[in-house]
Amino acid sequence: MDKRLLKRERLDRLIDGVTRGGGLFVAPRLDARRVVYGPVTAADEMEFDYIVPGNSFKEFFFPRTEPVARFSFHKQGTELEEVRPEPVETVIFGSRPCDAASCASLRSVFTWDFVDEYYTEREDAAVVMTVACTQGDESCFCTTVGVAPDGRDGSDILLRETEGGDFTAEAVTEKGASFMERYKDAFEATVEGREKEVFQPEILDGVDLERIAQWLKDKEHYSSPLWPEVARKCIGCGACTFSCPTCHCFDLVDEGTFFEGERRKNWDSCQFDYFTLHASGHNPRDTQYKRWRNRFMCKFHIYPGKFSTKGCVGCGRCIRVCPVRLDITEVMEEISKVP
Amino acid sequence: MSNIYLPHIVKIEDIYRETPDVRSFRLVFQDKKVRESFEFRTGQFGLYSAFGYGESTFCISSPSTRKGYIQCTFRATGRVTNALAQLNVGDTIGFRGPYGNWFPVDEWKGKNIVFIAGGIGLPPVRSVIWTCLDRREDYRDITIVYGARTVEDLVYKNELEHWDERDDVYLVQTVDPGGENADWKGRVGFVPTVLEETAPKPENTVCVVCGPPIMIKFTLQALENLGFSDEDVYTTLENKMKCGVGKCGRCNVGDVYICKEGPVYTAREVKRMYNDF
Repeated sequence: MDKRLLKRERLDRLIDGVTRGGGLFVAPRLDARRVVYGPVTAADEMEFDYIVPGNSFKEFFFPRTEPVARFSFHKQGTELEEVRPEPVETVIFGSRPCDAASCASLRSVFTWDFVDEYYTEREDAAVVMTVACTQGDESCFCTTVGVAPDGRDGSDILLRETEGGDFTAEAVTEKGASFMERYKDAFEATVEGREKEVFQPEILDGVDLERIAQWLKDKEHYSSPLWPEVARKCIGCGACTFSCPTCHCFDLVDEGTFFEGERRKNWDSCQFDYFTLHASGHNPRDTQYKRWRNRFMCKFHIYPGKFSTKGCVGCGRCIRVCPVRLDITEVMEEISKVP
Repeated sequence: MSNIYLPHIVKIEDIYRETPDVRSFRLVFQDKKVRESFEFRTGQFGLYSAFGYGESTFCISSPSTRKGYIQCTFRATGRVTNALAQLNVGDTIGFRGPYGNWFPVDEWKGKNIVFIAGGIGLPPVRSVIWTCLDRREDYRDITIVYGARTVEDLVYKNELEHWDERDDVYLVQTVDPGGENADWKGRVGFVPTVLEETAPKPENTVCVVCGPPIMIKFTLQALENLGFSDEDVYTTLENKMKCGVGKCGRCNVGDVYICKEGPVYTAREVKRMYNDF
């Protein structure tokens, strides 16, 4: 399919079309003065001047909290009822290529052997409309981890901003093409206006991903004195994990009364001290640096090694939100330097 | 459509009070179809729900050779196990599983087996013991070395008595120094020491080890001293788990997911793992 033009004034047509059918239109919008991915019902709620939204859009496929079962107690025993995900068509408009690239990562975890349909059904019902980056900040490092600011991986439609504030649109997947076909009155066949230049974050010379992977692969290095040193300032708040598009850890928690309740799947964080705590009191990751080491290991060894996907997409959120400025790229550089 | 987080409802058919804080449940699937079709292999585990409190992970402690029910054994330690401990016969709980890998008992045909367990580490080993005893003719000498802190902490006392009486099982029971009482007829000493004294021969023999981490550590050393090779020593690991199916991110030891690639490993595999215990 050729490139089409999505004029900004036609966005309402698209939003109406999606939401009228019961769908969800997610786009960058202001929330507490911060740009985040959130549901919108009109184009005037949307923000167009942003680098990367504060949250990742994983919460629309993998909600912060969701019920998986309901139970109630009767004289005859326990009644258990399954709660199915009820996916609706979800458009993620204005995704960035880094976030789009993370879909494959989450999917790889949620589908190896056992399939978590709470995740897959929602992701299957989503159309990711990515806008190539025309601006960035010092925290952006996608190019260092092999993601391009106008990359297509994980996107269904790739948009590029034009100088006039409109978007050129290019279908990347079948799903994207059929979406553009379905909402063809929003897209124009004649493309006009010059596309804005793509912002290329600087590739961090000091980072050697191959070397990091090799170093992590050697289990002797797990006991390296480097770990307590680099992670010393981490306070274990978990902000990096909640904002990270590839972090997938969760808890299964029962909530309710003596008569009935729900089992919920809630986001959790490997940075919390109780995360791996055994009932016996034993904790395999009993100090903060061990928890931080686990996260780094997950990103640069477990994801690429076990799931053949990216553990880190370089969105830079963990750097932006860290209250103690523990910059993951500095640790990547540090490990790349180890002789 | 399958919901990987949805448990089966199981009914508590019987409760055995093993020690003051250890219970065994004999569980039967409420759904007839599941009851008839459910199969597992010895060494696999499940997640048991006390609805309203959550789920907890234990092995299936009954042998895979016996159908129609499963058994689990747990110590009332945390929120879920304390809630489970208060239930009565006839109450219903949840069960998801079986998950994980198993002990390759079929490959052990024609071999001697030494079972070594400490404290609450006996339940997973019990499943293997009975699986092998139910097909006794497939194996040669069967030795069981079991120890606990005190006489009171020994689980499955009736079965220990039964194994002790059998001619085709050699049972060595021990309690830690100071844990004995006036009636105690077994040994006094830590499991690794008693194991070395028992001195099983490594030729054509496999070992199954389970117990607290410190006991496993010294037992593996003792087995090495006795000349056992790491490939013939099997153990079952545990870690905190929530999903049991490789998603929730808790049980990994370095890059190894205990719930999926384990919980059963040879000593060789354990030694190759990251130091993340």
